[in-house]
Amino acid sequence: MPSVNTRAFFSKTGRAKYISHLDLSSVVIRAMKRTRLPIWQTEGFNPRTYVTFMLPLSLGQEGLHEAMDFRLIEDVPYSEVREKLNAALPPDIQVTEITVPRDKNTDITAARYHIISSADPEKLRQLCEKEQINVEKRTKKGSTIVDLKPLMTDVEQQGEELFVTLPAGNTFNINPSLIFEAYSAEYGEPVKRLRIIRTNIYSGDREFE
Amino acid sequence: MSENLYTNKAMMEQLDEFLLEVQKPSRYIGGEHGAVIKNKCKVDIRFAFCFPDTYEIGMSHLGMKILYGLKNAVPNYWCERVFMPLPDMEEQMRARNIPLYALESLDPIKDFDFIGFTLQYEMSFTNILEMLDLAGVPVLAKDRTGLTPIVMAGGPCVCNPEPLADFIDFFAIGEGEEMNLEFMRLMEQCKKEGATRQEFLRRAAQIEGIYVPSLYDVDYNLDGTVKSITPKDGAPATVRKRIIKDFDKVYAPENFVVPFTQIVHDRAVIEVLRGCIRGCRFCQAGFIYRPYREKQKDTILHNLKALCENTGYDEVSLSSLSTGDYKDIVGLLTELTDYTSAEKINLSLPSLRIDRFSDEVLKKITDVRKSGLTFAPEGGTQRIRDVINKNVTEKNVMDSVRIAFEGGYTNIKLYFMMGLPTETMEDVEGVYNMAKAVIEEFYATPNHAKGRPGVAVSLSTFIPKPFTPFEFEPQLDEAGVKERQAHLKSINNDRKIVISWSKYDLSLIEAVLARGDRRLGKAIYLAWQKGCKLDGWDEYFKFDKWIEAIKECGLAPAFYANRRRPYDEVAPWSHIDMLVSREFLIEENKRAHEGVTTPNCREKCSNCGVAKCVGGEICRAIR
Repeated sequence: MPSVNTRAFFSKTGRAKYISHLDLSSVVIRAMKRTRLPIWQTEGFNPRTYVTFMLPLSLGQEGLHEAMDFRLIEDVPYSEVREKLNAALPPDIQVTEITVPRDKNTDITAARYHIISSADPEKLRQLCEKEQINVEKRTKKGSTIVDLKPLMTDVEQQGEELFVTLPAGNTFNINPSLIFEAYSAEYGEPVKRLRIIRTNIYSGDREFE
Repeated sequence: MSENLYTNKAMMEQLDEFLLEVQKPSRYIGGEHGAVIKNKCKVDIRFAFCFPDTYEIGMSHLGMKILYGLKNAVPNYWCERVFMPLPDMEEQMRARNIPLYALESLDPIKDFDFIGFTLQYEMSFTNILEMLDLAGVPVLAKDRTGLTPIVMAGGPCVCNPEPLADFIDFFAIGEGEEMNLEFMRLMEQCKKEGATRQEFLRRAAQIEGIYVPSLYDVDYNLDGTVKSITPKDGAPATVRKRIIKDFDKVYAPENFVVPFTQIVHDRAVIEVLRGCIRGCRFCQAGFIYRPYREKQKDTILHNLKALCENTGYDEVSLSSLSTGDYKDIVGLLTELTDYTSAEKINLSLPSLRIDRFSDEVLKKITDVRKSGLTFAPEGGTQRIRDVINKNVTEKNVMDSVRIAFEGGYTNIKLYFMMGLPTETMEDVEGVYNMAKAVIEEFYATPNHAKGRPGVAVSLSTFIPKPFTPFEFEPQLDEAGVKERQAHLKSINNDRKIVISWSKYDLSLIEAVLARGDRRLGKAIYLAWQKGCKLDGWDEYFKFDKWIEAIKECGLAPAFYANRRRPYDEVAPWSHIDMLVSREFLIEENKRAHEGVTTPNCREKCSNCGVAKCVGGEICRAIR
């Protein structure tokens, strides 16, 4: 049987939010080894379990619907794959769904976030309603000024909780923490408590599948 | 995720506020695969296993994994891990009044029944003080009042526990597998009875291997040497170390806590044997871990399989003082590699003696990255190697490097010691000559790999340790060390040979602490108050502060480090019995000065005293 590309959606919450993107792959690969599931390894001298992660999650942020791909070399019921992975993974990383991939990681365009912060709700609302929300975005190549306003869509606020959709993907990605950098700059006060949870990933106007 | 019910939510929230601001936060949060979480309502005894160094180092330590698994196998005991936070983390914790907590429950360790430290290395002593203080527990044993927490320590350094007598309530001398459960049971009983701290300690002192320093009075002579050590309250006159008699059946962990982040030794580790047959005279481990015991092949294979399956590691190493001494090493490796090759697991053997390094063994090690190999001749000439009883010849070294070069290696690392007893400049030059001979051997090997050979020579300053034949010896002073280093530097004109040495300053303090007495407790306390911590780390080590502290106590480093100790002097550790007799150590010291070697335990029993203590059958099995 040729190997079949398989996608797992998983959550990374609680203590697992402190696992860096780099460390995540070894955490997951070791868990896969523990399951003894027929997962494809690279050929060659140093065979390695092949896993790719769709969209990096910043250190300290949680994710409820993260995606990773691997290849199965034997037919195993998806429910079994999920159960075995969950038994082997650390308690704060758990697989929610196994699917056949439909989209490529380059198809990712946006992500939705649920943010709970100690920012003053009224000030946060005023910030979100401004005509322009300019903030400095730092990348490897240097920094640019970005206007967040047109990039923030489906904004909902309930007290200290904020729901927002932002551009995501390999080419253009906006980290939701930028909203709170803009907040600090605007009001001259730091946001002490900030919990960011990525709740979904989109491909165009539908969910990433 | 019911497990999360059992962790301290309030602490988690506090940590969430700043953990992203510290380096590598995942080492401060726990939650790894294999971490044991229990319902604390159903737990009677809680043990905080403290490794007085960073997470990366402590998590690489096999002894901690053994005792962690062993204690947690008892349903109503819960053992958790604690490590030394680095300064950025510590600063945050102190600023926010967060006491030192354990990684499993995130509960403050001051509320535990036991706070246990493992003493792997003298230069971690100040970390113990720092960790206790950070935990909110009085640093001095005399200032602690309630029944709990009891602060205890085990590990190799406790063979001379005296410098830490002021801080530790009791020491566990020797192998901990049985003792740990015994003193935990005693605590269970004492809690039920409502016993006092003193009562617990008095009763603990009756357990073989347990040393309660407050139950001993030490008197000194006018010259500062120990006059007498007197037990009180029924404590034994000598405390004999514990050993596991049926080593093959001893508890071995079948699962490890698998860290989220890279640690120093990030792999499965299997203990194959304990003790060492060799008797190298400088090596403390070679004497204090006697007698030599092996596990059976089946036991090792079973353990290796279980561990690899449960952890998911694709690298496993065999751990011991000298793995090559395993009686049927080729047979063992054949069985193990049958499994590891099929599972694509990398098997490594870190502690191979030069004279046990054969073609056959090398082929079995499926180490695919052929970069470098390390050998430890320890001394540069045959004369000095005879003095230290290393029993390795230049031919052994050359045979081994040839096999390595034939096997595709190009780089060799050689370990030596500087300042060994009776050492002359000729012995120092011998180090360089051997490195040069290794380079020549590379070119003389017909089928050597392409590329330039390299020899990295690493020299450490010899530190005399208790319970070795060299415990009577002075450590070479600074002038002597500098002179030897300069000489080596001046004669090395080969760019393929790189010579490096350990810092003298560090080895002096280590030498002071290793053979120190109780009076040094004050110096350790003062050094810590002056900011000494993480002393094993070059960037944090404060030599000047240490010297200041020692002098302020009216003590002199040279008294402890650079003085020849007469055979009849009362050693500060003379009430500790590591099974190896003092007469044997004296005899071995004399033989060293005569340049006479001693056969290893497999060749012939040299009557070190261990056989008499443990019954001859363990020792007879060696041969």
